[in-house]
Order: sequence, then structure tokens, then C-alpha cells
Amino acid sequence: MAEKLDVKQGTLALMILRTLEVLGPLHGYGVARRIEETSKNCLTLNYGTLYPALLKLEQEGFVIAEWRQSENNRRAKYYALTAAGRRQLAREARDWHRTADLIAAFLAPRREAP
Amino acid sequence: MRHIRAALARIAGFFTGRRADDDLRDELQSHLDMETAENIRRGMDPDEARRQALLASGGLTQAAEAVRDRRGLPWIENAAADIRYALRALRHSPAFTTIVVITLALGIGANTAIFSVVRGVLLKPLPHRDGDRLVYLRHSMDGPGGANLAFSVPEVRDFRNGAPSLAGIAEFSQWTLRYQGDDGAVRIDVGLVTGNYFEVMGLAPVLGRLTEPRDDGPGVPPVMVLTHEGWMKRFGGDSSIVGRQVRLDGKSVTVIGVLQPAPFFPGRAEALLNMVVSEHHTSSFMVEGRTHRMTEMIARLAPGASVEQARTEVAAVYARIQSAFREAYDPGSRFRVAVIPFKTVLGERARLTLWLLMGAAAFVMIISAANVANLTLMRGVRRQHELVVRAALGAGVARLRRLLLAENLVLAIIGAILGVIIAVGGVRLLTSLAERYSPRANEIRLDGVVFGFTFAVSVTVALLLSFLASLPREGSFASRILAGAHRISGSLRKHRLQRGLVVVQIAVSVVLLAGAGLLTRTMIRLADVDTGLRTEEVLTMQVPLLTPAEILYNPASDASAKERYDRMRDEMAALPGVVDVGIGSPMPLQSSGVRFEVKAEGRAPAAGEAMPRAEFRTANPDFFRAAGIPILQGRPFSTTDQRGSGRVVIINQTLADRYYPGEDPLGQRIAWTGDILRFTPISDDWRTIVGVAGNTQDGGLDAEPRPVMFMPFAQELAIGGGFVIRADSNVAALATAATRIVRRIAPAVPIENVLTVAQIKDQSVSPRRLNAALVSSFGILAVIIAAVGIAGVLAFSVSARTNEIGIRMSLGADSGRVQRMILREGGVLLAIGLVLGVAGAFFAARVIRGLLFGVEPHDPTTFIGVTVMMAAIGIAACWIPALRAARIDPAITMRAQ
Repeated sequence: MAEKLDVKQGTLALMILRTLEVLGPLHGYGVARRIEETSKNCLTLNYGTLYPALLKLEQEGFVIAEWRQSENNRRAKYYALTAAGRRQLAREARDWHRTADLIAAFLAPRREAP
Repeated sequence: MRHIRAALARIAGFFTGRRADDDLRDELQSHLDMETAENIRRGMDPDEARRQALLASGGLTQAAEAVRDRRGLPWIENAAADIRYALRALRHSPAFTTIVVITLALGIGANTAIFSVVRGVLLKPLPHRDGDRLVYLRHSMDGPGGANLAFSVPEVRDFRNGAPSLAGIAEFSQWTLRYQGDDGAVRIDVGLVTGNYFEVMGLAPVLGRLTEPRDDGPGVPPVMVLTHEGWMKRFGGDSSIVGRQVRLDGKSVTVIGVLQPAPFFPGRAEALLNMVVSEHHTSSFMVEGRTHRMTEMIARLAPGASVEQARTEVAAVYARIQSAFREAYDPGSRFRVAVIPFKTVLGERARLTLWLLMGAAAFVMIISAANVANLTLMRGVRRQHELVVRAALGAGVARLRRLLLAENLVLAIIGAILGVIIAVGGVRLLTSLAERYSPRANEIRLDGVVFGFTFAVSVTVALLLSFLASLPREGSFASRILAGAHRISGSLRKHRLQRGLVVVQIAVSVVLLAGAGLLTRTMIRLADVDTGLRTEEVLTMQVPLLTPAEILYNPASDASAKERYDRMRDEMAALPGVVDVGIGSPMPLQSSGVRFEVKAEGRAPAAGEAMPRAEFRTANPDFFRAAGIPILQGRPFSTTDQRGSGRVVIINQTLADRYYPGEDPLGQRIAWTGDILRFTPISDDWRTIVGVAGNTQDGGLDAEPRPVMFMPFAQELAIGGGFVIRADSNVAALATAATRIVRRIAPAVPIENVLTVAQIKDQSVSPRRLNAALVSSFGILAVIIAAVGIAGVLAFSVSARTNEIGIRMSLGADSGRVQRMILREGGVLLAIGLVLGVAGAFFAARVIRGLLFGVEPHDPTTFIGVTVMMAAIGIAACWIPALRAARIDPAITMRAQ
């Protein structure tokens, strides 16, 4: 297994929003599994990280939560993206791309001056 | 937007915590179940599946805690818990709580009350627009009564033309007018002002309009602006007052407006009028007389100009006019002009007294805080076991510190609330004190700033107390628990801190006591001052039959006034018990402020020496006997000293010493002199000295006696005028009968200052008495707190050393020896405190020198007395714990181990 990474502050919200966008309404467990799989198990989310993040998104109005029956007939709390959440995701994704490009440019091997 | 939304959600979460907790538990449980199910699906056995799921969760409790922190307002929830805990802990030690709260309440109360006065009188910005740009010009010279001469109109004019850094100069002339009210006539203090006055001062009306430049000059109707104080006092704040006609000095004057509340200087004013109301103020004497100084100058600094600039310009102008008009500025009297910020001038009389009281209150606060700190430290040591256990159960050091802080905050806040209640009463008392010293006393308020100050003091005390106590260091818990940490033992460092605090308490108490002692002696000395009059059974009353305008512009009124004075005198003399009735002006122990230069025949002051100035007084033949003023040489006036007979005078001892040192002044001739006489009805003829009278303390009990020249009442105009009545018993009871006589003969005349000499004297002493009483009560409070402090620390030391003492005794030390040991421990602290205290008191006494009278700042009696007293109280306080130490039974102590 690859070296474990810490979840960077601020990126977890983005991952959660993206997960909900791709998979639709999902419970906490599903979100955690999806993020862990997507990261090829580089990230593990314990409850103490995941649930405060979900609560924060809910407080900010980017997701809404409701109790539902799961596919295998359990009761679970499902989180769904709101319209504000979609906008926020687009905004954060754009910011993230720009930041990533910038950092990449900084870290690129130096080219000799002609 | 999202932050607001999140914040609202959190606040909502704060209130719906419990329901959300259940929801969260279900959610986490469902997560765990799903993960367990998944693990089983992957082939684990159910137990292992569940264990793995739990492992991955990172702990359900921790997760719930993390979510809870996010959901509500953990800071408040923790604080609420801390405070609940603090209240519970304090309820369990009621004695500690009571002592601490009372101590803090007294300290905070005293500070709040005095700070509110300091703020109202000294610190608060003036109500005037840009009040810090106003400057007061003070004209002074050497000699009694020379401290504030005021200016003449030509002088004002010179400054107006020559000092561009003064954007505007307002003129204010103190004057009294007879106001004819519904219930008789009264003299009211007013200010006659120029039309630019309000513009320069930056004051606005609350009703109507203010005077303007168009109200200047002789040919305009007289108008009156009521000050806020006068409006309330005379008209009860009647809002329909504007436009009303009132009678002032027999003239009809229109009220045009009411001024916003504002302080006046140098005296109070009930109303401000244009100059035209007084013939005198529009006469050529006033307008052209360079030495006719009746005008106060308050100026507004030009934009960008500094006080320094104004000083330079004013000095230059003044030097120029002094050389241009040599006759108006006697070189020996050192005439000078000072430029002082108006706010400073308003506070100048109150400043020293108020800072003294503020300092004393601050000292009381220091002592209270030190005492509370000691109590807290001791309690902290006793609680160490509890704190160690709490720490072991998972409370971090920060959390423990917060608990302590919560406790101390609760104590300080309760103390502050009680303190404010004490302050409400104190402010009333202090306001009456401040009224005697400051025109701004009515600005004293317990307002937001004062409460802010109180709050800041309380919180600071709480913070200091919380960080003074040393907490067990993290990591040291385990070893302490192993050591079975229920043995009470303070570290050496803590002991040193406690002892240091006791030393501070003693030292500060000594400083306060010394101050109290000096002020008390000042008051006693002042009360002992011989006024120069008989103190017992003498009543004085002022009855100004004529207004200054009547005297100046209607000389015929004089004869009828004198006739009425004589009739009143005769009727008063017929009252039962009356021994003598004198007529004179002004009344003894009151200063008229009417002072002129005096020349003696054949004697000129040496070059460079100030021209002597004497106060102008009149007296009838019985005046001296009635007042009990001794005639040291010569004779009193007689009934033959009439208008038309030879002019005679009686001079007082001070004037005699000045002009005729070691010689017989009787028969010598003396005269008023100076340019200013041209503007008065007073003659500069030679007058023959027929007597020398004893000095009287007319300028106040603590003032140097001033030169005085008495003229026969019959030979001068009846300026002022009043009666001195001496009876054989209970003279105060005669006041009513005497007043009735005046009322019958002159119904529309003000009657003022109906006071016995004893009362006048008491009025002069009473502000000092209040001063001394306040500082003394602070001093006594400090000593009590300090005594409790030293006794407490020693008692604690004894209980901490019970073991040691037990061992000592079992090894042969007798109880006397143990007692001496403890006494020595306290004695060292006491001695150090006394030495520091006396040193501090030496310094403090020099600072308050200006408030002392008749006692040296380093008065040995006071200092020795205070030191002995403090030492005695300190030793008494040490005795109790020492006795307890001596009663320790070694057997019991050893067994307890």
C-alpha cells in the first residue's frame, strides 16, 4: 500500500462535494469509501474527520441531509448536493486547478536561459 | 453569506444540542454497521469485522466530540460549564467567598466612585465644540489677591489686534444683578459677554438664540441667555421661557435663549447678558480705562496654531503694552500673563485633591487585590490535591487555568457589582466635595466609560489572580499522585510571593495612614486658626440695599440707604439678648475683592518693590466691638466721624507692619492711589490713621492675612453693607427676627449669607474635613485588610508547618519558643513593610504638600505615630497565629502522620 497521506485542510470539502456530484445522494459511509477508493487507499477518513466536514457543508448550505432506506434496507443519513453546493464545487474546482497549475509551474524543472 | 449562515446554524445548534446528539449517534452507528457488514462480506468473522470497523472509525466518542465542537458554540458551552463549576466551588467555601467579595467590592467601589469624579471633572472632553482649542489668559501679579486680576477692555483690544494665533477672544465679565423674583429679590451671579462669546466658546442653545455681535454696544436692548443651571434653578426648566421679560436691577430684560450645560470660570453664572445691561460696562471708564480690569479672556486657537505659539505672541504683545503704558504696570508687582488650556484651568483647583483620592483608592485596590491573591494562593495550595486528581482524570493545564480564571472572574464580577452599588452612594458624597473645587461637578456621571473602567479593573484583577497561582506542571502529575499528594505543602516560591504581598500591604497601609494623618492634622490646625473675630455668638448677614449701578449712577440713593441701615440697626439692637450691632461692608471673613494701591505720606516703597495694596472695607463705630475684632492701638470709629468731618481710617496690623514697622502709625496720613480710582467713587484724599485693628482671616483660614484699610461707614458710599450682631446667648436664633426687620424696612432687597462666625469658619474647614475623612477611611480600610492579610499568611504558615512544629516541640522546644518563632516570622515582614512604607510616605507627602496647612510634609509626629500604630496592629495580627502555633500538641501531630 502506498504511503498514507493526510487530508489537506480544505480539500476534503471539495472531495465530498465532487463525490456527491458524481454519485448523487450518498451516506457518510459511501462518501468515505468512495474517497478512499479514488485515492487508491492513500487516504483514510476516520469519523472524526468526515462528519464534522459534512456538518460544516450542511451548515453552509452546500448539502442537505435526510434519513432514508439504503439499497440493502438499512436506515442511513443521505447527503445530497444543493444548487449552492454545485456552484461552490465549480468555484472551488476552478480555484484548485489554477492553484495546482501555478504550483506545478513553480516546481517544474528549471529551463536554461537560451 | 455562507459564514453568516454557518454561524446561525451553529447558534441554532447550541440550543438543539441534545436532539442532534441522538441523531449523530444513529448516524455513526449506521456507518459502523455498514462497514462491519462490508467486512463480513469480505470474509471476516463477525467479531473481527466489528473490531476492524471500530479501529477504522478512530473512536466514536472522539468523533462525536469533534462534531459537537463544530455544531454548537463550544467556547460558550465550556465557559458556561466553568462558571457553573466555579459557582459550585465558591458555594462550598462561603467564608473565603465572602471575604474576597467584600474586599474586592470595597476596592472596586472606591475606585469606581473616584474615577467617575476624576473623569467628569478632569478628563472628559469639554462640552464646548473643539473644547481643547480653547485657552484661558490669566493676568496676575505678586501679592495677595494678585493671582487672577482679569483684563481691562483696552488690554483685550491689544491682544485681539496683536496675537493672530488667537482666532477669537471672548470677553466674560463677572457681575451680579438683582433679580426680582416672585418671592423677593435675590442677587444672581451673571456673566456680561461680548457678542462673539458663544461663537468663540463653541456653545449652542437648547432653546431660542444666543447673543451675537449685533447685541454689542450701548444702543441695543438688554437681552439674557440663561445658563442651563440658571434655567433649572430659577425657572424649573420652563420651556416657554424664551421671550419672557424679567426685572434685573430694575430694568426689563428679555430672555432670548437657554444655553447648553457648560462650566464657567472663574465663577458660576446663572445667565449671560450683553454688556448694555450695566451702564458701567458701556461707560468710558470701562471701555477706556486700562487699569479697570474686570474682563476674563477666553480665546480659541486659530486653525493650526499651537498653545506655544499663542504664548509667544501674547508675551510679545504684553511686553509691548507694558513699555507703552508704564503707569499701568507697577514694575515691582511683576505683572504677567499666562496662556493655559481652558480645560486645565477648569480643573486646577480640583486636580491635586482628586489625584490624591484616586491614588488613595488605587492603593486600597492594590491592598485588596494582594489580600485576595494571598487567599487564592493559600486556597490553591489546599486545593492542589484536587487539582492533581482533576489533571489525572484528563483535564489539561489550560483547562485547569480556565477553571481558576472562571472562579476569579465570578468573584471579581460579584465584587464589581457590589462595588458599583457602593460607588452610587459614594459619587453623591464626592460630587458635593467636587462642587467646592470644580465648575464641572455637574458633569460627574456613572456612565459607560466609568463602567468600562470598573469592568477593566475587575477583569485585570481576575486575570492577575488566575495567573499568580502556580499549577502543577504537565507531566508532574504522575509523580505527585505516587507521592500521595494530600500533604499540604507550598513551594518556597509561593511562600515568597505571599510574603512579598504582605510586605506590600503593610507598606501601602503606612503610606495611606501617613497621608490620612497629615490631612487630619491639617484639618485640626485649620480649625484652630484664630479668625481674628469672636467665634461665639456672632451673626453676620449681608444686606446690599443698593446695586453697584445705583451707587455709581445715583449718588442721591446713598443717603436714604444709610438712613435705612441705621433704622435696621436700631431695631436689631432692641431685640432681646442683643449686645452689639455693627454695620459694615463687606462682612468679616468674606473677601470683597475690592483692592487698591495705598500710599503713605512721606514714605515711598523702595525701587523695584511692589506698591502695597489693601482691601477696601467700611465699618461703623460698633462694628469692631460687635465682631470682636480687637483695636490694638488708637480708637475705633466714633459717631463724630461723619461725612464732612476729617477723613479717618483704621488700618489692620498687616498694613501697619508694612508701612510703619516698629513705629507708631497713629496720626500718620495714608491714601488710596492708582489710576483706577478715576473709575470709582473713592477719593484719593489723605486720611488720618486713628486706630490699628487686629488681622482677620478674610481670604480663608489658610491664607496669609492681607492688608486692610477700614473707612467710617458714614464717610463712604454704602457699597454692599451688612450687619454684625452679637448676642449674649443663642445668636443663631436671632436670624429670623433680624431677617424680619430687614424685610419690613426694605421688602425688595436680597438678604445673603445669614451665618454665624462659627458657621463661616466651619464652611471653610469642611472640604478639608471631608478630604481627611475620605483618606482616613481608606487608611483604616487598608490597615484592616493588611492585618487580615498578615494574620492569614502566618496562620497558613503555621498550618503548613504543623508537622515541623510538632517535631520541634517533641525535641524540647517549649511553647514560648514556638510562639517567638512565628512572631519573628511575622516581625520580619512587618519591619520590611514599615521601612518601605515610611520611605513611600516621605515621597507621597511631598506630592500632596499643596494640600497641607500648618504641618510639614515630613511631620515627625505623624510619621512616628503612624509607624507605631501600624507596628502595634501588625504585632497584634501576628499574635493570633503565634498563639495557635504554641498550642500545637506534638503527640497529636505526630500521630496524624
